[in-house]
Amino acid sequence: MTKNHPGQVCTHCGGKHQSCVLREKAPDAEDVLPLSRACGYGRVKVCRISGDRRLCARMADLGILPGREMELLCAAAGGHNCMVRINGGTISLDSLTTANILVSPV
Amino acid sequence: MAKSFNIALAGNPNAGKTTLFNYLTGARQHVGNYPGVTVEKKEGICQHGGRELRVTDLPGTYSLTAYSVEELVARNFLVNEKPDVVIDIVDASNLERNLYLTCQFMELGVPLIIALNMIDVAQHRGIEVDTEKLSSLLGVPVVPLVARSGKGVNLLLDTVLLVIDEKKSYPPLRLSYGDDLDQVLDSMVPLIEQGKLLTDTYPARWTGLKILENDDQILDRAMKADSTLADILVQRSDEVTSHLQRTVDTYPEAMIADHRYGFIKSILRQGVISQRFDADRLYTSDRIDKIVTNRFLGPLIMGAILYGLYSFTFNYSSLPVDWLASFFGFLGDIVNRVLPDGPIKSMLVSGVIGGVGGVLGFVPIIMFMFLGIAVLEDSGYLARVAFMMDRIFRMFGLHGSSVMPFIVSGGIAGGCAVPGVMATRTLRSPKERIATLLTVPFMNCGAKLPIIALLIGAFFSAHQAQYMFLTTVVSWSVALLTAKFLRMTVLRGESTPFVMELPPYRFPTFKGLFIHTWERTWQYIKKAGTVVLAISILLWAMMTYPGLPADKSAQFERQRQEVMAAYAPHGVAAGQEKERPGQVAEPPELAARLQVIDNMEAQAALRNSLAGRMGIALEPLSRFAGFDWRTNIALVGGFAAKEVIVSTLGTSYSLGSVDVEHTASLQDRLARDKHWNPIVALAALAFIMFYAPCFVTVVCIARESGSWKWAIFSMVFNTFLAYSLAVAIYQTGRALGLAP
Repeated sequence: MTKNHPGQVCTHCGGKHQSCVLREKAPDAEDVLPLSRACGYGRVKVCRISGDRRLCARMADLGILPGREMELLCAAAGGHNCMVRINGGTISLDSLTTANILVSPV
Repeated sequence: MAKSFNIALAGNPNAGKTTLFNYLTGARQHVGNYPGVTVEKKEGICQHGGRELRVTDLPGTYSLTAYSVEELVARNFLVNEKPDVVIDIVDASNLERNLYLTCQFMELGVPLIIALNMIDVAQHRGIEVDTEKLSSLLGVPVVPLVARSGKGVNLLLDTVLLVIDEKKSYPPLRLSYGDDLDQVLDSMVPLIEQGKLLTDTYPARWTGLKILENDDQILDRAMKADSTLADILVQRSDEVTSHLQRTVDTYPEAMIADHRYGFIKSILRQGVISQRFDADRLYTSDRIDKIVTNRFLGPLIMGAILYGLYSFTFNYSSLPVDWLASFFGFLGDIVNRVLPDGPIKSMLVSGVIGGVGGVLGFVPIIMFMFLGIAVLEDSGYLARVAFMMDRIFRMFGLHGSSVMPFIVSGGIAGGCAVPGVMATRTLRSPKERIATLLTVPFMNCGAKLPIIALLIGAFFSAHQAQYMFLTTVVSWSVALLTAKFLRMTVLRGESTPFVMELPPYRFPTFKGLFIHTWERTWQYIKKAGTVVLAISILLWAMMTYPGLPADKSAQFERQRQEVMAAYAPHGVAAGQEKERPGQVAEPPELAARLQVIDNMEAQAALRNSLAGRMGIALEPLSRFAGFDWRTNIALVGGFAAKEVIVSTLGTSYSLGSVDVEHTASLQDRLARDKHWNPIVALAALAFIMFYAPCFVTVVCIARESGSWKWAIFSMVFNTFLAYSLAVAIYQTGRALGLAP
């Protein structure tokens, strides 16, 4: 039997894989920007991961998936690496990676 | 003999795996490499309940995909070695991320125990974990522990023995990955089972899952095993991938990962975790990061800390270095006194004691440097250094983690390339690591400083400080540009994305620091020491043989006799020359004249030696860079150790043995010599700074890169680069009329 927790089938992510700009209560299009251009600190929501398949998979492994929220600890603007807190861990991302992560402020 | 059991320690980086490994095995460790890769393999023995447990510390990974060498090594170990128990070290303060890997272990169906580490940190953060509930929901034993203090380790080992004794099977966990993927997976499994595709190694559903995840290694193996069946499976995978791309703009891997996280969330939400504070509040570590990695303050703090590490390493190690030097000097003196003159004595004193002593002389530096690096690494700061420097180093095809090897090798003049090359172990990408270890010898190590200071003092004394600073800038520039060149040519390849989890700041444990430092130092002593002995004897032989022809030796002897005869009335009789060195009554003038003859003989002997002949043979080439045969001999000798350049120059300029600390006589001599001028000095500086690394470094490059190919490359490439630069400088100087 397939289990997403014992005895039940998980349906938690229904529809989440759609880009968050397409969903209900979607942020304004101008609010969506690449993480590499996020200037201030604070919480952001992941809207979409672009880039190649490998990058998408790597981000997914780290829990950076559309619909997830994360705390920006060190801004990425200006081509710098950035630091985010997600799922209880602190992850550093380089500028090429952050350019492929579209986020919106929470 | 009682059977021993294989235990694998697995888990995310920074979850406390190595701390637990050190606690379990103490000093009973063996460090090697996994076959064919430069990933460290640590094994150790642990006794518990009268049984022997062979513990393997697997590389830290976030996942069991094929994205990195570490992940491949970890999963290959699990499926090929089939350990009796896999202890999954999970950071209790970061459960959600850590259980992601746990989930994949369960999908693979390995005998698993979760070691819930750092429960003290979790409690401090207001996180309470119901371990029994977690254990019953996941269906695997969960043992809470604090690996730093050893709390809970006994219970963990009891549980390990229990799992071994139970001998029960561990069916792979079946998760749902959404309707689309589940349907495809369900259609793939019977095909895999019927075709027996890799079923002797992997569970059928896991193979299907990896094909959906586009896993290179599994796809490759499946193609080799049964290309027809593999093609069918890949086609199904491609179809569902296109469907997911069209409908939800995602790939199967992302969908699978999302469902794994969903599974974890559903477990945690059933009362496994209770949180007293806001789950996403910023912890002390995050607050420190806001200052320490600040755009403006960060580099200043980093500069201060790296300078501190540098000073700590080279200042505090100087005393034991001196002790070791005195010890080997003392040993040399004893051999000198006890053995009669001859080749055996010469080989023991200059080849064995001089060569091996020179290498062991580095041990305190290595030890202090690794202790400093261990403090930075275990405290979590090293990851922040890499984070801050990555942007600059990336421009040159390197990685943020390359900064430490550069600093240690002499980025701030005076380091040492040997520990620098060894410090490249913190780099994970093989190409970035090799590019770093090939370019760190360009830094101005402590051994190059005496000759650099000598040439600057002799020819640019009016601007010594500026020229010294310039050499540091030039060494950094050449190293980074060379790295860029290598990454564009022989080491071409994409830069590794700087995506890594930064560990929270922690206080390192003394035991961890000690084991970390000792294991690396011991590796150096053991490995470098064996090859070094052979090469030092070879270099000694090259600079000693063939000796002076008998008639030439007799000629110098006659000169000595004549001089001594002339001073006979002063109490020195002919025939007493053998006792000369110890005689107090020898007049200063006589001693000086005899010294001149000794030096001339040493010069003649050096010229006649294999190294001397090489120096002469190289002159037709080296004259394009302005070097005569005497400089060539010193440069050949510099391959043994860069300090040797000064002493060999002293011998080849008939000044006798020149102490590297007192080079005034040689400085004057070079300044007055007709073969030398500021342009030749600049060319020589360029050559010395960038030519082949000393042989200890070369041995380390071979060891660290896992191949002599790169060691030979570093000698040939660096010498070619240095020669090109020296020729360019000398010829430009000549063209401008600045050199004769």
